[in-house]
This record gives sequence, structure tokens and C-alpha cells, in this order.
Amino acid sequence: MLIFKEIQLLPEIFLGISIIYLIIHGTFISVNNKYLLIQNSVLYLSVLIISLFCFLLINNTIECNDFQIFNNTIIIDYLGSFSKILIAIVSIFCFLMIQRYLTVQKINYFEYSVLILFALLGIFFICSSNDLITAYLAIELQSLSFYIMAALKKDSAFSVDAGLKYFILGAFSSSLFLFGSSILYGVSGTTNFEDLKNLFFWVYSSYDCTQDASDYTFVKDVFINGGLIQFALSFIFVSLLFKLAIAPFHLWSIDVYEGSPSSSTFFFAVVPKLAIFILLVRIFYSSFFEYTAKWRYYIVILAVLTIVVGSFAGLEQKKLKSLLAYSSISHMGYTLIAFSTGTFEGLQMLFCYLFLYMIAGLCIWSIFLMLQLKYKYVKKQNKDLADLSSLSKSNNILALFFSTVLLSIAGLPPMVGFLVKIGIFLVSIEVSMYFVSIVSILCSVISTFYYIRIVKIMFFENSTAGKLYQPIKSHISIVIVCLFYFLLFLFINPTLIYLFSYKITLLLTMTMM
Amino acid sequence: MLDFFLLNVTNLLILILVLPLIGTFLLLFVPSSNHSALKAIALNTSCFLYVISLFLWVFFNKSIGSFQFVSKLLWIPFLNLNFSLGIDGISLFFILLTTLLIFLCILISWNSVKTNIKEFLIAFLVMEFFLIGVFSILDLLLFYIYFESVLIPMYLIVGIWGSRERKIRAAYFFFLYTLLGSVLMLLSILYIYYQVGTTDYEVLLTFIFSKTEQKFLWLSFFGSFATKVPMVPVHLWLPEAHVEAPTAGSVILAGVLLKLGTYGFLRFSFPLFPEASFYFAPIVYLLSVVGIVYTSFTAIRQTDFKRIIAYTSVAHMNLVMVGLFSFNTIGLEGAILQSLSHGFVASALFLIIGVVYERHHTRMVKYYGGLVHVMPLYTFIFLFFTMSNIGLPGTGSFVGEFLILVGSFKTNTSATFISATGMIIGGCYSLWLFNRISYGNLKTQYLKDYIDINKREFFIFLPLIFGTIAIGLYPEIFLNSMHMSVNMLVEITHIYTL
Repeated sequence: MLIFKEIQLLPEIFLGISIIYLIIHGTFISVNNKYLLIQNSVLYLSVLIISLFCFLLINNTIECNDFQIFNNTIIIDYLGSFSKILIAIVSIFCFLMIQRYLTVQKINYFEYSVLILFALLGIFFICSSNDLITAYLAIELQSLSFYIMAALKKDSAFSVDAGLKYFILGAFSSSLFLFGSSILYGVSGTTNFEDLKNLFFWVYSSYDCTQDASDYTFVKDVFINGGLIQFALSFIFVSLLFKLAIAPFHLWSIDVYEGSPSSSTFFFAVVPKLAIFILLVRIFYSSFFEYTAKWRYYIVILAVLTIVVGSFAGLEQKKLKSLLAYSSISHMGYTLIAFSTGTFEGLQMLFCYLFLYMIAGLCIWSIFLMLQLKYKYVKKQNKDLADLSSLSKSNNILALFFSTVLLSIAGLPPMVGFLVKIGIFLVSIEVSMYFVSIVSILCSVISTFYYIRIVKIMFFENSTAGKLYQPIKSHISIVIVCLFYFLLFLFINPTLIYLFSYKITLLLTMTMM
Repeated sequence: MLDFFLLNVTNLLILILVLPLIGTFLLLFVPSSNHSALKAIALNTSCFLYVISLFLWVFFNKSIGSFQFVSKLLWIPFLNLNFSLGIDGISLFFILLTTLLIFLCILISWNSVKTNIKEFLIAFLVMEFFLIGVFSILDLLLFYIYFESVLIPMYLIVGIWGSRERKIRAAYFFFLYTLLGSVLMLLSILYIYYQVGTTDYEVLLTFIFSKTEQKFLWLSFFGSFATKVPMVPVHLWLPEAHVEAPTAGSVILAGVLLKLGTYGFLRFSFPLFPEASFYFAPIVYLLSVVGIVYTSFTAIRQTDFKRIIAYTSVAHMNLVMVGLFSFNTIGLEGAILQSLSHGFVASALFLIIGVVYERHHTRMVKYYGGLVHVMPLYTFIFLFFTMSNIGLPGTGSFVGEFLILVGSFKTNTSATFISATGMIIGGCYSLWLFNRISYGNLKTQYLKDYIDINKREFFIFLPLIFGTIAIGLYPEIFLNSMHMSVNMLVEITHIYTL
């Protein structure tokens, strides 16, 4: 018997209050001139906050039923909670990893941690939004924090440039979302996913039952043919694709990823994708499934285009960071293939792929942040691929981990990346998308080329005069080793990742019915 | 419990599969500066593994055609993907070949590998794990996983311990050719999984695909296996990879990796898609015959010692393909036997190159000459393997080639005729090469300080010589064990096509 259902939102409330206290704490302490100390203390406090948030989430036992709270604008279900836990754990690792980078780069603002926490709050709200308005506000909270994070290195022209680009294009895409929502509101009179679903379900079913077209000409015009609704939905869809950097809308991401500080790029690349996909699933799988079924072919074309762009453009990259950016673009293409199938298995494989994308991305970006050349000019951060040639000499094990994770991301057989990738191809074959699977698998071979090129640079090239890398701190190395063994473990026992995604999809489809 | 585990014969295969990993695990804990301990661990592991794999042959029941030592481990149960192991008469000898050659490979690189020796040994043991897995797995998807996993250690072996700057290109060639060939096979496997609901091999044997399906599936499997064999249009990676790889890498490449292709045809293409195999047989004949003649002629005009042997391998493996597509017991047994003997002979020839390369660091034929004056034992072994490469009666290749030609004569006379000419050309280049290297005057203007082969190298050659002679003189000991399995394979192939 739960009377005060809103208590289910306690983790987010706790996070919000903590952020405010963190701001106060940071402001008071920054009167002292011990900047490094502020950075560290605020960083550790953020880790503490996220950990407590995580405990509170786990404490909320949500099994089969879902709650809709705050006037049905927020939904608490298993998908949301599990994703939040995953995102929280990933962001704890992110916090631990970026600490050294921030110290080296002398980003001495305590606001950085606060901004990350704000972005996380936004992401958590995206995960559980059940209303277009909530979704918009959550996206804005996340994006606005991200814009500042991109531009935070004030003395770097690249960073400011990246922040401005991110801001302009992000604001543009957000406005598209708002535009689509307003049209949708104009047509249906509601912005709630649940109401929209019920409305359209009712319209469809009653229209099918009566067969008397004369009474329903208005209904037919507006809902069944649905020109206006599709128009509105396409705006929402495009805006979310902007956020995901799917192919025709990906151009911002390369510049932003490369220009912004690596610690911010870490967050942009790894954390928000899952949340945006959850929102996509909530909108297009439950509320507007009848409409989006017609779009499947267009979505598939976008997905293939994304994979092609990610694979071919990555071949020409000289910088590690932009290569990873293109790699993440092509991964979004694979997930979009799974999204476009519209089947139960498709959803399952989509979540599998996204979970693994986050874990593997965490590994790869952590290692990336650890790579610190022994330069005189210590702030040089845009790493050329050629610099990696000395990695196997200065830190052999790290080079080994790096190449293993790269091969996993590339989807080569003995790694877990292979398993989730064949999941994508399996579901695309199940809905008879043979051509798509052939094209995308050939593209995956092409993208393998740039992953094994990094392996080549690390192991095959004998650089006698290369610059050596700084050693890694012990506690960070323990974290990296744990992540690495977790990846290996997932290959030996992939059931773990499959079962979680299976449960999520099962509960999700149950509530959709 | 423990002695139950040790004494139960069915667990032998799991033990063999796990042992290389245990060796790898032990190697990880030895500091990389302690070379002698590293080598000792790797050598003992691989030797022990070879001895245990011989027990596999001892306990092998020759009167059954079905799979033996079958064991099943759960992996992803709810996707019906299980780790089922088992061997039959076809895969038994490939496993023995693998364990023997890895053992020899570690012995070969005893002194020649100077850098990163720990990683080198780990790469070999890991590769042994993958190779044994490929030959003993009874699940299509897991077969693919193992099949592709072999690429990674081999890529590293060619790329890191290769000889020249061209090695990077060679490693890319090897990796991308094989990967590109086999991704379509992955899609076909997924299609099969979607159709049947499982990829378990024994279940798949009971499933009949329609004719159109068979054709598409066969073609995609062909792309993968033909790249591995290698057949003609996609053979370019092989000379590159062979020439640039270290001696041990070449040995394992010629000895075992090329057999993955023929093994794949035997295990999967024939029984799963029998009609398509018949349908596409003419094309395979054409490609193999072209391959035999073309690569034999190409071998004649090479200047690089290793390249000659590499092209020889291509020719011989294409002959194996002719035998495979004869679809009768004689031809198939000949093909397996020829694969085995090629495993011995080609490895030995690469080893012979390795011996002189280790001493003089060149592989160009023109720098050598008159080695018989200073390296008599070496020349004798070289002569022996040259003769077995040609197919002299009494050596393994003769039996293999004879059986292949007899088998394929029943099916396609003209193809048999043309592929038999390949043997004559083979005689040309092998004898020419032997002549250039061994006879004539010593070229002291190029090379000085000749040393005959030492005890270690001699004992590496010894099992290979024994193996070649054993197949040549009394092939029945090998044929005995594979009769039933091959008969069953032929029966399956013929039942569905009638």
C-alpha cells in the first residue's frame, strides 16, 4: 500500500538537493586559494553523491509494475531504474578517471563537477520521462550542462569553438523537438505518452471496428493518414537523431568531440546515448508504434548511412579522438538497425548493444585519458595516432588492454563485442533485411581496419625516438584492470548482459500492451 | 571426484582444450626477463599436450563414424548456443597435427626469437587453444568464433616478429582478406540459426535446406573457406604472409591454418549443403585446376626461397580441393591424407628455409649454392623433403596425390589430367630449387661461416621425417581411423542428392 507514490523519485530529489549543497560548499571553500584541493574535494563529494544515489535507486525495488507520478509526467519502471543504475556506475568511473586529467590540464573550477552532476540529473530524468514536456526539459538540462562542459577550457580556442558549435546546433535540434511537440499537442491536446498511446490506440481500434467511414472522416484525415502527426513526429525524431549523431545530423559531433576537453568528450560519448535511446523507445515503440512502423525503411537507410559514414570517414583520421568519435557514430548506426526492426528481439539486442557500448566506451576512454605523454608542454592533449607507437614500450600491459578493448569494439570474434554485434545482425535477418545486414557487416570489416591500425601502430612500429608515457597511478590501474576483466568475463558468461536486457524488454513490452 | 575426472576418457578433449590456457596462465606469472623459464614452461606444456593428444588416438574407436569424446557445456543456454565438443576420424588427425606442429614451433624459435619472447610464446599457446577449438567444436557459431580468433594471434605473430618492413602490409593482407572472406559466412550462420533455431552441428545434419537457400549459403561459406585454402583469385595474401612471417609462423600457417579451409569444406559445406556442393563442383574444379597450374608456374619464376615454397603450398592445397570435390571415399581420404602430409612436408620445407635464414639472414636463392659441401646432413634432409614435395613413391605426398587422382578420375577426367600436370611442374621447380641451393660451387663471395644443422634442429626434423615416411609406407594406420567417418560423410552427401 503506497500512498505517497512520489517518494519513488527520492533518488533524483536527493541528487538535486545535493547538487545545490555542493554549489554552496564549493563557493564557500573557493574563498581559500587552494584550487587543487577544491577540485579534488568536490570531485570526491560528487562520487559520494552518485554512489548514494545509486544505493537509493537499488533500494527502490521495482520489479514488475511501473508507477507514474507527478501527474503522469514521470514513469518509474524497470528500464528506467536499471539504466539509471548503469549510468550512475559508469559516471562514478568517469569521475575517478577524469581527476588526473583535470589536474594536468589545470581546469580548476569546482563547477565542472557540479555541471556533470546537473547533466546526470537531466539524463536520469530523460530515462524516466513520460511526457514530451518533461523530456524536453530534461534534455535541455542535460544539453545546457554539456554546452558549458564543452567550452569550459576558456584559454583554448578549440574548446570555445566546440562549445559554441555544440550550443548552436544543440539549441537548433532542441527547438525542433519543441516544434514537433507543439504540433502534436495541437492535434491531440495532450503531451503525455500514456494519453497519446491510449488516444491513438482507441482511434485505431474503433476505426477498424466500425468500418463506417463517413462518421470518421476527420479521424481518418488526422489520425489514420496522419499527415500532421507524422510531420510532428519527424521533427521529434530528427531532433533526437541530432543528439545521437546519426549520419546526416552527425557533423557537429566530430568537431565537438575533438575540440572539447577530453574529460567532457568522455561524458558526451559514453553516458547520454542510452538515455536518448530510451526516450526514442518510449515515444516510438509505445506511443506511436502504428506510425513508426511505416517509417522502418527510412530509419534503416539512416542507419546504413551512419555505418557507412562512420566506417569510411574513420579511415582517414589522424587523431585518436576523432577516430573514436567516428567509431561511436558507426556504433550508433548498428543500434539504429536494431531499433528499426520493431520486434521484441530487436529491442533486446538494442539494449544489449547499448550496455556493452557504454562499458566498452568506458574502458576505451579511461585508457585514453590515462595516456599522458612525457612532454614539456604538458597540456598537449590532441593525441596523434602516431604517438601511440611508444605505448607498448613504456606500458606494455596498457597497450595490451587497449588493443583488446579495441578488438572488442571492432566486433572481432573472441570478444564480447562480437556477440552483441551478431545480435544486431541476427535481428535484422529475422525481419528479412538481408541487404542491410550485408552492407553493414562489410562496413564493419572496413571499420576493423582502423581499429587494427591502432594495434599495428602500438605493436609493429619500432620507434626509437618516441616519447614515453607517464606511469599510471596504482588505484587508477586497478580500476582499469577491473574494467578489462569485466569485459573478458562478459564473453565467458554473456548470459548476464542478455538476461538483463531480456527482462527490461519483457517488462517494457508488458506495459506497452 | 578428481580421479573420476582424470580417468574418464570423455574428458580428454576438454583437457586438451584447456591445457594451452593453463600454460598461458603460467607464462603470465613469469617475468619476461627469465627467458629459460618461459621457454621451459611453453615447451613442456606443448609437449605434454602432444602426448595427451596421442592418447586421443589411442582411445579413438575406429569402428564408429559418429562423434566421439562428446561433451556439452552450457554457454548461452537461452539462445541455444552451447559449447559442444567432439571429434571424429576427420578432425582427429588435424588435432594431432596442430599439437605436434605447435610443439615444434616453440622448439624452432628457441634461439631465433630475441624480442618479446613471452608474448611470442603466449601467442602460440593461445593460437593452439583456438586451433584445437576449431577442430573439435560441434557448433557452427562457435566454429566461426574460433575460426576467426585464429587471425588475432597470427596477425600479431606476422606483424611483430616478422622479418622486414613489408611485414605490416603482409599482416594487413592476411587479416583483411580472411576477415572479408568470412563475414558473409557469419551472416549465413545467423540465417541458419534463424531457420533452424540452433547452430548445433548434429542437429543441423538432420535439417534440409531448400535448393536456393543451399546455393546462397554454400557460396558464402565458400568465400570464407576458399580464402583460407587459398583458391586462386584470393590467394594473394598467402605468399605475402608466408614470406614475412617468422619461421615458426610460416610453419603453423602452412601446416595448420591452410587446413582450416579444407576442414571447413569437409565438415560444413558438404554435409549441410550437399546439393549445392554438387552444383558448384565444376566451378571449384576450374578454380583449383587454374590454381594448380598457375601457381606452379609462378613458383618457377620466384627468386625468394620462401615464396617458392609458399606457391608450392597453394598448388598442393588446390590439389586437395580437387580431391575433396570428387565426392567419393577414395578422393576424400586422399584429400585428408594429402592435407596431413602437406602439413608435414610444407612445414619441414619452411623449417629448412628457417635454418639457413637463421644463419645467413637472406632468403634469396642466388646467394646460396653448393651447400652439399658444407652442410651434408642439411642437404640430405632438404633432398628428402624435396622428393616428398614432388610426390616420390614411399613418401606421404605420393599416397595422398595418388588417392586424390584416383578419386577425381571417376568424377572428372579432364580436371584430373590437368591437375596431374601440376605434379610434373612441381617436379621442375622443386628439383630446380634443390639444385640451385645444394649443388654447384660455394658462393663464398656472399656467405661465409657455414654450419651444419645442430642437434636441436635435427630433432625437429625427425618427427616430420617419420611422419612422412609412415604415411608413405603404411597409410592404413591413418586411413583406418578415418574410414568410417568419411564413409558416413559420403553417404550423407549422396543420400540428399539422390
